Amino acid sequence: MSSMPETAAAAERPEAERRVKLVDADIHPAPLPRHLAPRLDEPWRSRFERYGVRVPNPPQLYPRVRNTGYRVDSWPEGGFPGSDFDLLRAQLLEEHSVDYGVLIPLHGHSFGAEAPEYAAALCHAVNEWVREEMLDRDERLRTSINVPLETPELAVREIERYAGDPRFVQVLLPSGAEYPLGNRKYWPVYRTAAEAGLPLIAHTGGFEQHRGAGWPSYYLEAHVFYANAMIALATSLIAEGVFQELPGLQVVLVEAGISWAGPLMWAMDSAWSAMRDDVAHLDREPSELFREQFWFTTQPIEEPDDPQQLVQALEFTGMTDRIMFASDYPHWDFDSPAMTLPRAVPKKLRAKILAGNACRLYGLG
Amino acid sequence: MKLEGAIDCDVHCAPASIDALLPYMDDYWRDYVANAGMTLSPTLTGTYPEAVSPASPSDVDALREQVLDPWGLQCAVLTCASAFDISRNAYYETALCKAINDWLRSEWLERDERLRASMVVPTLDPEAAITEIERVGGDPRFVSVLLPIRVDARWGTKRFHPLHEAIARHDLVLALHAWGRIGAAPTASGATHTYFEDYLANSQSIAQGQVMSLVAEGVFERVPDLRVVLLECGFAWLPPMLWRFDKDWKAVWREVPWLKAKPSEYVQRHFRFATTPAQLPSNRDRTAQLAAMLGAEELLVFASDHPHRHGDGNLEVLLDVLGDAGRDAVMRGNAEALYRLVG
Repeated sequence: MSSMPETAAAAERPEAERRVKLVDADIHPAPLPRHLAPRLDEPWRSRFERYGVRVPNPPQLYPRVRNTGYRVDSWPEGGFPGSDFDLLRAQLLEEHSVDYGVLIPLHGHSFGAEAPEYAAALCHAVNEWVREEMLDRDERLRTSINVPLETPELAVREIERYAGDPRFVQVLLPSGAEYPLGNRKYWPVYRTAAEAGLPLIAHTGGFEQHRGAGWPSYYLEAHVFYANAMIALATSLIAEGVFQELPGLQVVLVEAGISWAGPLMWAMDSAWSAMRDDVAHLDREPSELFREQFWFTTQPIEEPDDPQQLVQALEFTGMTDRIMFASDYPHWDFDSPAMTLPRAVPKKLRAKILAGNACRLYGLG
Repeated sequence: MKLEGAIDCDVHCAPASIDALLPYMDDYWRDYVANAGMTLSPTLTGTYPEAVSPASPSDVDALREQVLDPWGLQCAVLTCASAFDISRNAYYETALCKAINDWLRSEWLERDERLRASMVVPTLDPEAAITEIERVGGDPRFVSVLLPIRVDARWGTKRFHPLHEAIARHDLVLALHAWGRIGAAPTASGATHTYFEDYLANSQSIAQGQVMSLVAEGVFERVPDLRVVLLECGFAWLPPMLWRFDKDWKAVWREVPWLKAKPSEYVQRHFRFATTPAQLPSNRDRTAQLAAMLGAEELLVFASDHPHRHGDGNLEVLLDVLGDAGRDAVMRGNAEALYRLVG
């Protein structure tokens, strides 16, 4: 990444000297239909108003049996959690003294799989709303580019539109796309992101097909399985050789936990030792590759009864330089920066997770 | 690894071809097999490619020579994954399972006292599965019911609760084994291009989904005596999964009001995990930490998964960490209790 050398040096300065104390790497703004329609050209505006969209939202499969899925205090008058910038600023940025916040508008998960030109128009409307209504109003904010992923040439165009705006810091992927995410179909998107120095950010959500043993029945199961969908995504990117093609590409895995990564890497290395000729392009241990390409966010972090075991599990990953605090505002399972990390997490690691690691990845501070 | 006196919970056997099963089928199914050209794929339709899996022993002499005699096992539980046929005819699946069970009994269990077996039952027809459990479940040499993790619907779903009741009623163990109906894509977004990725999906997502399902659907409240063993599914992934599961349950318990304890308690009480594939770090300190997270000396049962190869999983490091008593529990004692082999 172009800005890495300089910011890596910044990250090595003692924490006390650093200005940035808190970066929130997962904030969900939510444009309403009335925000998007005026930002759509015809015929897409009429289509949006008359037919809506076809890909279901995750809560339609798995109703969130907890405060309807949102912080109870996050509903603005006449709006939706995340739709009102002033409320978001007050409840999150001000209340928790967030130095930088990375927005992840999730509409791209469903919009990105609509009919090609319609998908492109919808994603662009989201990006424009975020730019005008959020980024332009607060310089602490960064965002993730929504792209019509299932039509890669149009996704490439959308990335190119924003690549020159330093506030658009990454490209959004769902954890479930039409094909496994390592599929070559998506490589043009990844190449464009890598060349622009933008990480990919895979956020839980998107398509949820049969997955080998059928559907969970409950949100409880579906939510625990978020990690497993992300495991499948990471395994696919590695198995298909994405990183041999694009060694500079960085991928942030959001809202899927972290502690599974150690056991996943052990399993990958063990399998690789037995069947490396099946994946001949993998020229070194998968764990080595994994540690160089992936990042994590904290929310929802695992909570063992013994918090010391969480620290051990994070150390199993060998990736504590690649874990970033995330609140997941305004969802029901919002994590406060004061409470997320148990006391057992050593001070230095805590500072890296709360700010240093994100500063390095996104060139902040 | 010292295997003398061990109980091996997952040793594969397979008929050399479907001809070996024809004596255990009736005229209709013999005719069906002939006319449809049904075979038993030696690789189970790509489940066990030759590169990682030599053929399973097809008769008891081969098994004695490869496993029982040289290793000095006290007992081996046979897994015949030939039942993991992927054709969609539920009646054929039932006929195949019946034939395999009779073949296991006549040609294996009656020929060596060290042998026990998992009975096989159909996945597409729970009523037929129960009928088969009732048909052969009285034979104490069948100690478990083999079901694959890759199926149409997760095993905890309501339609399977009577099946779990039948398993418990016959004092059998539910043995969930890697692979199965591999025609269905293992990920939420489709099929994989490599065996490596498909293989990892067993341990890293599908088996975990089955554990979540059995617990979340309240199977253990409805069937408190059900014991479950996961075969060839790994186990190092369990602690992080349970940490998420417990945490989420504390928040959304309303959705599953039948759960009376946190998910990890059901897993500790009802599940055991086979040691192969081990998928462990080589670092001893980390392995010791992991063993503590797992409660490994109670959770694990030894399984060689002969003749499949999984690469170096560092199981020996874990056994060493557990010390003599822990090693003995994993190699023998836990399986004795699980399958109620003593008393």
